[in-house]
Amino acid sequence: MSTETTDVGAEREERGRLQRILSSPFLSDLLSNRLALIGIGIILSMLLIAVYARVFYDLGALESSRLGGSFPDRAAPGWAGGPAAANELLFGTDQAARDIFRRTMYGAWIALKFGTITVGISTVLGVTLGILAAYYGDVTDNVIMRTMDVLLAFPSLLLALALVAIFGAGLWKAVIALTLVYTPRFARVVRGAALKVLEDEYIDATEALGAKDPRILFRHIMPNTLAPITVQSTLNFGLAIIDIAALSFLGFGAPPGSPSWGKMLANGVEFGLQSGRWWMSFFPGLFLALTVLGFNLLGDGMRDALDPRMQDAVD
Amino acid sequence: MVSKRFIAKRLLLLVPVLFGVSTFVFAILHLSGGDPARIIAGQRASEEVVRQVRQDLGLNDPILVQYGRFLVDVVQFDFGNSYQVSKGNPVRQVLIARLPVTIELALYGQFIGLALGLPLGILSAIKQDSLLDHTTRIGALAGISVPIYWSGPLLILFFSGYLGIFPAAGRIGSTIFLDNSWTLLGMELPLTGMVTIDTLLLGRPVAWLSAVSHLFLPAITIGVYSMALVSRMMRSSMLEVIRQDYMRTARAKGQGAKITVMKHGFRNAMIPVITVVGIQFGTLLGGAVLTETVFGIGGIGTLIVSAINATDYPVVQGAVLTFALLFTLVNLGVDITYSYLDPRIQQ
Repeated sequence: MSTETTDVGAEREERGRLQRILSSPFLSDLLSNRLALIGIGIILSMLLIAVYARVFYDLGALESSRLGGSFPDRAAPGWAGGPAAANELLFGTDQAARDIFRRTMYGAWIALKFGTITVGISTVLGVTLGILAAYYGDVTDNVIMRTMDVLLAFPSLLLALALVAIFGAGLWKAVIALTLVYTPRFARVVRGAALKVLEDEYIDATEALGAKDPRILFRHIMPNTLAPITVQSTLNFGLAIIDIAALSFLGFGAPPGSPSWGKMLANGVEFGLQSGRWWMSFFPGLFLALTVLGFNLLGDGMRDALDPRMQDAVD
Repeated sequence: MVSKRFIAKRLLLLVPVLFGVSTFVFAILHLSGGDPARIIAGQRASEEVVRQVRQDLGLNDPILVQYGRFLVDVVQFDFGNSYQVSKGNPVRQVLIARLPVTIELALYGQFIGLALGLPLGILSAIKQDSLLDHTTRIGALAGISVPIYWSGPLLILFFSGYLGIFPAAGRIGSTIFLDNSWTLLGMELPLTGMVTIDTLLLGRPVAWLSAVSHLFLPAITIGVYSMALVSRMMRSSMLEVIRQDYMRTARAKGQGAKITVMKHGFRNAMIPVITVVGIQFGTLLGGAVLTETVFGIGGIGTLIVSAINATDYPVVQGAVLTFALLFTLVNLGVDITYSYLDPRIQQ
């Protein structure tokens, strides 16, 4: 009987919370920001493309060389003066006669998948470290934050390259390297936000009521740092996608045949730059830039909606 | 004024960070699991030779001894000799030859970014919600979303391939050779290693033109990215400053709008912008690695990439430490400038 009442109570509380979120000024601000909406639109389109490519395209076929097949290699798109055989090829073919259109579509899946993993892990790590540093202070704070300082003393792509020199090349290893690059940024933001929350009196009150550390940390401090974390994650999502592709571009991420945007751009530079084969670079880069733009538009909109000082600066 | 005490304090704070950086750089070699002796001796060398090399390198000593030796060497900027990339030559020598190339590229990129980004940001803030403001904002957002390894190739394809007005790769025409030193009042002086300066010092205008035209596209590639960052930051910083009471006071005293913005607004708005410029210098150095790769420029960026590929650890260690040092020093400079602009920071 008693459990039932708490369930109902919890459900009501849950519904109340949902309503609060939906009617919050943050969400309405965000949704009335046209640029943020465009960002959401771009991200959703890329997500659709990614899932479609993942489900319907055969990765093995996209990776293997098609030389000797029905299409010539390095052919311009049919609509841009390519050979008749390339009429059905929207984006042309690369140096191994592979269809750049399909490869570009599949690239969306690779970028979003590895971007999500990188940002996800570094967010969790950064939040945990930042909150622990803020709450326990003293030695814990010093050990964590000084380590973060050392990692932040490196230019980010250089730190990623140094870590790649340790781990070796490969997409997963690039993800681990970039996770270590991004974690300190989250830790710093979260620590700052958590310190501000800790000054509030209700934390003292909770402590006086006998709440244990984990409860204070996860029930009271973490929810109050969620806003800056969300903005930070969104803005870093774009950066993570650029950085993963950069490592692939330099030859330390995706393997040679992979339809990742970074690798395709490397092919474009190696096999298309001198001979003016622009389509090899243009299309993968366009999709990469669009995806990153989507996350930046959304992240900007979220930051404006969260920062009350910028309220009157927002459209 | 910036007090000496403040500068001394900032320098002292650098010590633990640089110590940590050196420790990490030391770890690169020992965590990577590669066998430096085997790399130096070559795949076909006998076990005995490899053992001898290992002994010579001191790799048989306890790790703490090696670490201590590494720290002593690092303070003297000594990373030993290159294994592969510049086989047998001291890493320090390789770095000193390559560093000016990267710095030249980064400086021109930063210059373009500031020269275009600051005015655009200010105009965008003053004329908030105008067409110019919207164009700048969206342009800047697009600018930071475009990766350097896409904008670079596109610029090459258009300006070099299609229009044929700028060279696609390298630092100077392949038929131009520069002397190793220049003379001033009968004294022989070393060159800077930056081609756009060296050609001037040597008094060779044709070579200078060639150097500038080679640097143009790479500098624009980095500059556009930097411009986007700077104009974004300048706009939001200026918007905040414009709303401050002291701006209204200045106007109320009868000061003209332009003078108020430039005299009171600019200086105060620059404070956060300078911080961002410092932090973004790291992005700029990362951008230099990619730009050098795209444009085939032999700076530290391409050096580190080929060193990783060749498992040439001393070069990787030296290059990574150089970049970290450069980045840290720039941020120190930023802190000092910051405290000059806003003396409250020093307390």
